[in-house]
Amino acid sequence: MKILEATSLAKRFGPVQAVADVSLTVRQGEIAGLLGPNGAGKSTTLHMLLGLVTPDSGTIRMFGLDLARHRTEVLSQVNFSASYLGLPGVLHVREVLDSFARMYGLRQPRERVDEIVELLEIGPLLRRKVIELSSGQQTRIQLAKALLNDPRLLILDEPTAALDPDAGDRIRGLLVRVARESGKALLITSHNMREVERMCDRIHFISGGRIVATGTAAELASDFGVEDLEEVFLKVARQGSIHI
Amino acid sequence: MTVSTNGSAEFAPSLRAGTALAFPPLSFAARRRRVTGVVLRDLAALRRSPVRVFEIIFWPVVELVVWGYVTLFLESQKVPFVVSMLLGAVLLWQVLHRASNEVAIGFLEDIWSRNLLNMHVTPVTPPEYMTGLVLFSLTKIAAGITAMALLAYVIYGFGLLTVGIGLVPFMALLMIMGWALAFVAISCVLRFGEGAQVLAWSLVFVFQPLAGVFYPVSVLPQPLQYIAAFVPATHVFEGMRAVLNGGAIPWDRMAFAGVLDVVYVALALWLYAVTLRHARAKGRLSRFGE
Ligand SMILES: Nc1ncnc2c1ncn2[C@@H]1O[C@H](COP(=O)(O)OP(=O)(O)O)[C@@H](O)[C@H]1O
Ligand SMILES: [Mg+2]
Repeated sequence: MKILEATSLAKRFGPVQAVADVSLTVRQGEIAGLLGPNGAGKSTTLHMLLGLVTPDSGTIRMFGLDLARHRTEVLSQVNFSASYLGLPGVLHVREVLDSFARMYGLRQPRERVDEIVELLEIGPLLRRKVIELSSGQQTRIQLAKALLNDPRLLILDEPTAALDPDAGDRIRGLLVRVARESGKALLITSHNMREVERMCDRIHFISGGRIVATGTAAELASDFGVEDLEEVFLKVARQGSIHI
Repeated sequence: MTVSTNGSAEFAPSLRAGTALAFPPLSFAARRRRVTGVVLRDLAALRRSPVRVFEIIFWPVVELVVWGYVTLFLESQKVPFVVSMLLGAVLLWQVLHRASNEVAIGFLEDIWSRNLLNMHVTPVTPPEYMTGLVLFSLTKIAAGITAMALLAYVIYGFGLLTVGIGLVPFMALLMIMGWALAFVAISCVLRFGEGAQVLAWSLVFVFQPLAGVFYPVSVLPQPLQYIAAFVPATHVFEGMRAVLNGGAIPWDRMAFAGVLDVVYVALALWLYAVTLRHARAKGRLSRFGE
């Protein structure tokens, strides 16, 4: 079943064609990766899927609903986390999670927060201010926020970009576990080949605002006639958009 | 919550089913819950920053002390002036001022903490968000005005309650106008970026000379008087002077101010909707705080 179906998305910011033509599907339970160099249009694509940016053209359907017309219903079942976002820094972690749980219209916000706190093992952080936490801990809190509404689709923009390799690895493990256990779909962007290779069932390679290839890591490598994903990346990044 | 043998926690079945977890997104229960979330967040932010709590009391007290002694001085100079007029004006002006500032600052906090995108990907709708900010501002206004009124009584013997039942419409009309101005300031920040933040504090002062806070509107030049007639606050301050002079509450003026308030709020919400659409089209939401 298709959780997300985006067709022919395009977005121009002044002189920059940030996204030229992106079509994308994410299936139930799938971990999909959007991989591409800086400026390829990854974040813009995600922001369009989240209703933060209105596409110039193209359509977005999630859970069978048109995003433009059913914004509230769709956003209730989606969540988002990104390395460049913050949370209200003076608040205690508990207060942040409690208020977001309500903003997602949860029936039992406190119980749900307790559940997520246990899942992400952040109990010891609850009474601390967000600004006092390390970036690894903040990422965990962001993820906790992003899991509160048990989203059917979790969208993550470079979730490990701000982290050292160890913290990044822990977060990746956590994400895969959560996705597999709860059967939710994940759409994750990255310019980290190994991250994508390890986590994703399907990889969409984006360059110059276009999806230039889609497949598993092995399929992509063989399509491009190279050894591994890293070489695919270099080839695409250096040659611009390739059509295969 | 159960913990499996390999030590990893799993979702408890009770809360796992997606549909049972949340109220139906368009239901009244869900909307009320989302508004509560916004209010709760702001209350927590207030609680965690002692400076903000201090400010609730600080600025009103400074204004009250300065203006109070100005009136005492004028009286000692035999200037025919009623202390209560000025003190009443200072107190009621605070209602307008705070209503406008608190709501606008509530929004700015999301920009300052890079939380804007987190807010905009929640199912909280613009009217729900606005309602949350407004409800939160009520608590701060109430606290500030209570402190000021007590102080006015203790220092100058001015009982705000001498204004009588008129206080209810006066304060309500001023608060609603203040909220409308806040929505305009928020829209300007969305449209023109963080450089427009100063409007959050200053927009309300554009209306101070017009609204005849400290003097009757009749002293203004004729053209300005026409404009002033379309400012809700004008009718409140004229009404307050009428009452403190022993007159009756001019209910016709209050009704007209009420109509103006409705128009102000409608225009402000429309402006916010338009700027939000524009911000999404131009990709502005992700550009704050950079
Ligand atoms: N809100 C915006 N306003 C103007 N230009 C933007 C905006 N967002 C992205 N861009 C531009 O669009 C291009 C694609 O950016 P982005 O989607 O952020 O790429 P990525 O996430 O793949 O690094 C870049 O050239 C970027 O500068
Ligand atoms: Mg990006």
